[in-house]
Amino acid sequence: MSEVPMRDVRSARAMTVSAGDVAALRAQFPDAFGNRRQQVTTGLLWGAAITYLLWSLWFFDFWKLFFFNERATRMFTEFFVWTDMAGWDYAGIYQGLAETIAMAFLGTLLGSLAALLIAFAAARNTMRNNLIRHAVRRFLDLLRGIDSLIWALVFVRAVGLGPLAGVLSIFVSDAGTLSKLYSEAIENVDRKEVEGVRATGASPVKVIRFGYLPQISPVFISLSLYSFESSVRSATILGIVGAGGIGKVLVDRFRAGFFDQVAFVVINILICVFVIDWLSGKVRAHFIGAKPH
Amino acid sequence: MASPQIATAGFVIEAGQDPVRVFEKHRAELIRSRLMMNIGMALLFLVLLAISIVVSRFYPDRLWAGLPRIFEYFGTVMPNLEGDKLFLARGADGKAVEGSILYWYSDLGKYLQLLFETILMAITATMLGAGMAFLLSFPAARNLAPARWINLIARRTTEVFRGVPEIVMALVLVFAVGIGPLAGVIAIAIHTAGALGKLFSEVNENASMRPVEGMRSVGGTWFDEVRFGVVPQVLPNFVSYSLLRFEINVRASSIVGFVGAGGIGQELNHTISFYNDDRVMAVLIMIVVLVTVIDLISERLRTRLIGRENLI
Repeated sequence: MSEVPMRDVRSARAMTVSAGDVAALRAQFPDAFGNRRQQVTTGLLWGAAITYLLWSLWFFDFWKLFFFNERATRMFTEFFVWTDMAGWDYAGIYQGLAETIAMAFLGTLLGSLAALLIAFAAARNTMRNNLIRHAVRRFLDLLRGIDSLIWALVFVRAVGLGPLAGVLSIFVSDAGTLSKLYSEAIENVDRKEVEGVRATGASPVKVIRFGYLPQISPVFISLSLYSFESSVRSATILGIVGAGGIGKVLVDRFRAGFFDQVAFVVINILICVFVIDWLSGKVRAHFIGAKPH
Repeated sequence: MASPQIATAGFVIEAGQDPVRVFEKHRAELIRSRLMMNIGMALLFLVLLAISIVVSRFYPDRLWAGLPRIFEYFGTVMPNLEGDKLFLARGADGKAVEGSILYWYSDLGKYLQLLFETILMAITATMLGAGMAFLLSFPAARNLAPARWINLIARRTTEVFRGVPEIVMALVLVFAVGIGPLAGVIAIAIHTAGALGKLFSEVNENASMRPVEGMRSVGGTWFDEVRFGVVPQVLPNFVSYSLLRFEINVRASSIVGFVGAGGIGQELNHTISFYNDDRVMAVLIMIVVLVTVIDLISERLRTRLIGRENLI
C-alpha cells in the first residue's frame, strides 16, 4: 500500500527537466508559455505608448526642465531656507486661512440648501414629469462640468474681487454636485415608509417631511460634510484668480518674491486641510454612527 | 423569578420598582440628553455661521448689489446670433458677418489647437504620473515594503504630492521653467503621482499574498515577488484608476492655463480678463464639450477593459 507514493517521491527526486520535456509541456499547455500573438500586441502597445511619450515630451520642450535659471534656484533654496521669520505678516496669513474656511462653509451651506430643493426635482420618484427632470439634470451636469476655478473667474468678473466671488463659485459647483448625489439618495429610499405616511392621508409636504427626510437626512449630512472637505480644498486656490482666501495671500507673496513665506503658507494649507478632514470625520461619525460611509 | 434586578441596555430595574415608571424615566432622560446635544450642535453651527459671515464679509447688501450684476454679466457674454444670418459664410472682403456662427467662432482654429494641447497635456501627465505612482505604490504598500522606513518615506511622498494643489505647483513651475504647457504637465503629473500612488498602494495592500509567498519559496528576490506575484493581480485595477484620473486631469489641464501653464485655460483667462463679449461663452462651451466628450470616451474604455460588473 505504501509502495505507490514511495516510488513517486523517488522519481521526483531523481527528475531533471530536459529540453524534450519542456517541448512536450509547451505542446500540452501552449498558453502557459506565453501566447505569441498576445506578446506581439503587448509589445506594439508599449512601443506606441513610449513613442507617444517621447514625442509629447519633445512637443512640450522637456529639455527646459534641465536648464534651471538662477531665479529658479533661488526660489527652490528659499522654499527650505526661511529668513526674517519675525517680520512676516502672520495676521494676514491666518486671516486668509480663516477666510478660506468661511468661504467653503458658506458656499457649502448655501449649496446644500439649494440642492435640497433641486434634488426633489431631479429624482425619478419625486418628479414624474420627464421633461422637467431631464432639463434639471442637464442643467446640473453643466454646473458640475465647469470647474469651480472657472466659476470663480467668471464671478470675479461679475461681482468684483473678494470672497463674495469665492462663496458664489463654491455655491454653484456644490449645488451641482450635491443635487445629483442627493437625488440619487432620494431615489434609493424605501418606498414602504413613504407609502405608510401617504396612507394616513398626509399632505405632500408632510410626506416629504415624515416619509423621505428621516431616511435621507443622515446621507445628506454625510454628503454635505464630504462636500465641505472638498470645498475647503478648492477654496484654497480660488484666490489665485482673485476670489479671496488664502490663495490670494499665496499669490501675493509669490509675485512679491517671498518664497519662504509661500512655503510656510503651503504647509499651513496642508495642516488646515488635514485638520478639517479629521474634524469632519468626527462629526460624520456622530451623525451616522462610527461605521464608515 | 427570584432574580432581584433586571439589567437591560442602560438602565437597571431594582426589585419592587415599577418597571414602566423606570422605563419612562430613562426614556425622558434619553430624550433630554439628545435635545441638549442637538441644541448644542445648533448653537455651534450658528456661531460658526456668524463667524463665517463676518470673516468673508458676506453681508446681504453686498449680495443684493452683486446678484443683478451676475445676470447682467451673463447677458453680455451671450452670443448675439441673428436667425437669418446664422449660417452665412464670410463676405467678399473676407470678414465674417456679425450675428453668424462664423463670427462668434472666428477664433475656432486657435481654440482647436489649444484643445489639442490640453488633451495632450492630460495624456502625458497621466502617463508620467501613473508611472511614478506605479513605482511609489510598492514601497508605499504596508505588506510589500522592504523596510519600515522606506514605507514611511514613500507614504509621506505621496501625501505631499497630492496635498499641494495642481495650480499652486503649476504657479511655481511656471516661474522655474517659463510660461508654457511643460509647467502644467509636470504639475499635473506630480499631483497624479500622489493621488494614484495612494490608490495603487491600497490596491497592493488588498492583493493576495499567496503568489508572493510562492515566489519567495522558490527563491525569488523582492523584485521577482513584486513583478510576478503582485503586478499581474493589480494591473487591471491600476489601468481603471488611471483612466478615471485621466478624466480628472483633463479638467485640471483646462485650468492650469490661468497661471500661464498652457492649455485652453490660458485662452479662457485671456478672453475673460480682456474682452466682455461672446468670446467668453465660446471658450466656455468648448471646455464643457471637451470635458463631456472625454468623460464619455473614458467611461466606454473602462467598461470595455474591465467589464461592466466590476465597475463598483
